[in-house]
Amino acid sequence: MPLDWLNPYHLQVASFILINVLLAVSIYVTLSTGQLSLGNAGFMSIGAYASAILTTAHGAPIPAGVLLGSVLAGAFGVLVGIPALRLKGVYLAIATLGFGEVVRAVFINWESLTGGAVGIAGIPQMGREILAALRESGISPETVGLRSNQFISLSVFLILLAAAILSTLFFLRLSSSRAGRAYAAIRMDEAAAEAAGIDATYYKVLAFSQGALLSGFAGALFAHSTSYISPADFTYHRAVEILVFAVFGGSEHLLGPVFGAMFLTAVPEALRFISDYRYIVYGIILVLMMIFRPQGVIDQALIDRVARGGSPGGS
Amino acid sequence: MALLRVDNVGKNFGGLAAVDGVSFSVGEGEILGLIGPNGAGKTTLFNLITSTFAPTGGRLLFRGESIAGLAPHSIVRKGICRTFQNIRLFPRMTALENVMVGRHPRSGAGIWGGVLRTRRQRDEEADIREKSGELLALMGLSGCGDLTAGKLPYGHQRRLEIARAMAAEPKLLLLDEPAAGMNESETREIQSLILTIRGMGVTVLLIEHDMSLVMKVCDRLVVLNFGRKIAEGAPAEIRANPEVVEAYLGREEEGEDGDA
Repeated sequence: MPLDWLNPYHLQVASFILINVLLAVSIYVTLSTGQLSLGNAGFMSIGAYASAILTTAHGAPIPAGVLLGSVLAGAFGVLVGIPALRLKGVYLAIATLGFGEVVRAVFINWESLTGGAVGIAGIPQMGREILAALRESGISPETVGLRSNQFISLSVFLILLAAAILSTLFFLRLSSSRAGRAYAAIRMDEAAAEAAGIDATYYKVLAFSQGALLSGFAGALFAHSTSYISPADFTYHRAVEILVFAVFGGSEHLLGPVFGAMFLTAVPEALRFISDYRYIVYGIILVLMMIFRPQGVIDQALIDRVARGGSPGGS
Repeated sequence: MALLRVDNVGKNFGGLAAVDGVSFSVGEGEILGLIGPNGAGKTTLFNLITSTFAPTGGRLLFRGESIAGLAPHSIVRKGICRTFQNIRLFPRMTALENVMVGRHPRSGAGIWGGVLRTRRQRDEEADIREKSGELLALMGLSGCGDLTAGKLPYGHQRRLEIARAMAAEPKLLLLDEPAAGMNESETREIQSLILTIRGMGVTVLLIEHDMSLVMKVCDRLVVLNFGRKIAEGAPAEIRANPEVVEAYLGREEEGEDGDA
């Protein structure tokens, strides 16, 4: 087999990295207006459950499930984002963390719809669906030298890769546009932003719901990658893990959390033998970061140095 | 018709009347000075005009239209911009970006325009950049566009804040102590900038403690003390007004010295 190096296990790790990249972008978007939301695990679960239920119980095709799941999470983002305007800093963080836990409690207890603590199994898997569709039209992956499980993992990986790249590009472009400048202005000084004619309420709710929508999108893709979800996938640990991507990678620039997500997902896999101590490693890394590089690995100065000669702009 | 009419406006903080039944108007094209000792309620009045908070009583009319209760950003859209006594720039943005943010209410690209970079968005962005560059030049900050705003010298920051306010093309510009902490030559620059701004058809309402500056640039003065208006008139009249002299220097025999 010429393509033996395509190891489904490695592809799966890469897929988890990409889902975490989406989540990292989602926390950054909200943070780029100065709002620290820990509710993204909750929004992720809304997207995941909505898409899972639609595709299993109602026979919806996966793209429709993913779309509706994302939109539903975004709508919840608006609902949470409006009262969240009254809260700042840690108070907002605690309230949104509480929101995530409420959502999880609902999923545990609404057994008729969600399967309770057991969760939902048999969710259509993106790779398998594509394989089945190809087989039906008479094309087999073996003709290009891929085993079925290789093909399944590869197609999931490619879909997630496209999603992660498109989302990152979307928000990179946004941050160097008029709306992105408004976000950055609000983050630096909300009163001054209002005095410059920026409708801070609108942009804060917008950023909050964009973050929620993207979390929901990540959640729906997660559901169709693993084909099994349960409330245990969306606990407080997940919320903190997403936060750590931004704290570790840096929250001044979009690429900070993206890097944080890639690094912090890949390292424990590479160091599988200490995987049980992952949270101890997190703790040590965070303490070291706070001492030596409180702004995170990637900051604006680093971006500027790398992009020297490029056009000025960005946040 | 007056551009801005402040009509019997008051603001209480708890039991304290920070502004108490103040009335005056600002005519189109005028430079009106708002003076008074510390704590007289000048900045509070600015905050009322820009709707940072709502007045406890009275009316605020801009071009004959009530502006009470509007959000601060809507006030900017109506044509009233301000600077702050303690400079409030966006410190980690460049000087140019600060001014570009000021163009926000005079541009319209949304999320999709920004992401898809449509032709209209690119044209608008180029226009924002050009106008912002012109304003930097007008304020004598031509070479500073790419520098981080928070790292500019103090005097530059003050002028940058004026440039940002001007970017929204105000009809009325509120300047809160633009010459505070400046030396004589910097103050002279501010003086000529204020006159330039008026020359562009912008009405100026100026809070300033530097009396020589106030006396030179203002057409009229309104004097506040303990939240009340105690005098209004041409600079020469105000200088000779015993009540004003008393507010600044305390009760004494005719101590006529306008350079408080």
